[in-house]
Amino acid sequence: MLDWIRFAVSSALMAAGLMILLTAVIGVFKFDYVLNRMHAAAMGDTLGLLFCMLALITGAPDGWLVLKLLLIIVFLWLSSPVSSHLIARLEVTVNPVWHQLPPPETGREGSEA
Amino acid sequence: MSKRRSDWESRLQARFARWMREGFSGLDDEIMVSLRQETSETLPSEQMADDHREMADTRRYERGIALDRLAQYDLNAWVSRKGRRLLSRLYTVLAMSLGVLMIFFLLKTVAMMPRFGSPDTPMINEVTDRYIERGLQETGAVNIVAGMILDYRAFDTLGESTVLFIAACAVLILLRIDWDEKAGPALELIAEEWDDRHYEPKNDRILQASAMILTPIVLLFGIYVILNGHLSPGGGFSGGSIISAGLILYLNAFGFKKAGQFFTYRTFMWVSFSALMFYGLAKTYSFYCGANGLQSGIPLGIPGAILSSGLIMPLNIAVGMVVACTMYIFYALFRKGGL
Repeated sequence: MLDWIRFAVSSALMAAGLMILLTAVIGVFKFDYVLNRMHAAAMGDTLGLLFCMLALITGAPDGWLVLKLLLIIVFLWLSSPVSSHLIARLEVTVNPVWHQLPPPETGREGSEA
Repeated sequence: MSKRRSDWESRLQARFARWMREGFSGLDDEIMVSLRQETSETLPSEQMADDHREMADTRRYERGIALDRLAQYDLNAWVSRKGRRLLSRLYTVLAMSLGVLMIFFLLKTVAMMPRFGSPDTPMINEVTDRYIERGLQETGAVNIVAGMILDYRAFDTLGESTVLFIAACAVLILLRIDWDEKAGPALELIAEEWDDRHYEPKNDRILQASAMILTPIVLLFGIYVILNGHLSPGGGFSGGSIISAGLILYLNAFGFKKAGQFFTYRTFMWVSFSALMFYGLAKTYSFYCGANGLQSGIPLGIPGAILSSGLIMPLNIAVGMVVACTMYIFYALFRKGGL
């Protein structure tokens, strides 16, 4: 009985994660502008993969596997928002549209390293 | 200059030259000026005849130009409509026939191959049996793949590492921007590179903070994969690429100046050279001993322990160092053209 409940929860989480990933893929192909597409891709990388990993955690047979999967979540949540941030920053640096806006209060970038 | 006739200015070839230079309007002005100057000298009837001939010449000339243009237009239209369609049809036919040919040959090859999993495949012979049955005993590696690529077939792996090293050297030759001051640097190249650096994420706080956390973990994981190459899946190639990914992350976050403090051309050359040299010498020794039936004297250790399986772990380390350096220097060269 317990196994069945675990299986049901795990598959529901996996389905949710795959749905979010599908949304992200559709968004990446549908949107025209860089920042919109970046938003879609970042959502898939974080929320979709979180749900997939949670599904695997629910179905995991032992504790070490749970720990490893949690570490994977930590790694993904550290790395993928940073890459999205870098894409957004490159767009703001390159696209002249953003230079016409008033600069923010704290300096946009420091001096050269 | 003095041999030129006075009406040279209005003659056909001079007019053509001027038309080439400044177009029709300038020519008309010149003609008007020259006509007005000559009216005082020539008789009116003569001048009328000249004028007439001139106009006829001009008309014939313009008609020729127009006909030329028409012919050119026709050719262009043919090329852009029918010619292009013909070419694309030819391309399609050629591509399809090539594809069909490839499919035919591949299917022929597959049909000549033995059935999947049948026991009389030429691949299933005493070599694979020996790998599986006595691999652990002879190489001491729990990971049979590591035992194969670094013990039975170590010569092949040495060739692969050398290919990587040579590829890095070739990329170095092709992409390096020369900063030599005497010969004069390739100025436009340097300007381009400077412009490219303008867009790179300099001093990005978020990237730096995450790199501060992630880089040590990535490097540690790469070292783990290399050191456990004979115990678990992994080894020199995969661990080396993980280490180089960590180095590239560090380079992106903190810039070339900081990364250059511990990684220069000299580092690359010496690390790659010493790793390949060690690999070659170690394998030469073991090949020599094996071919002459001598005891190599390298202990195999207990299978499963970290210090076991003879030469496999040091060779894994050598391969990992070569791979890490090569990938890192590829990235640096493609990014900036130097270290």
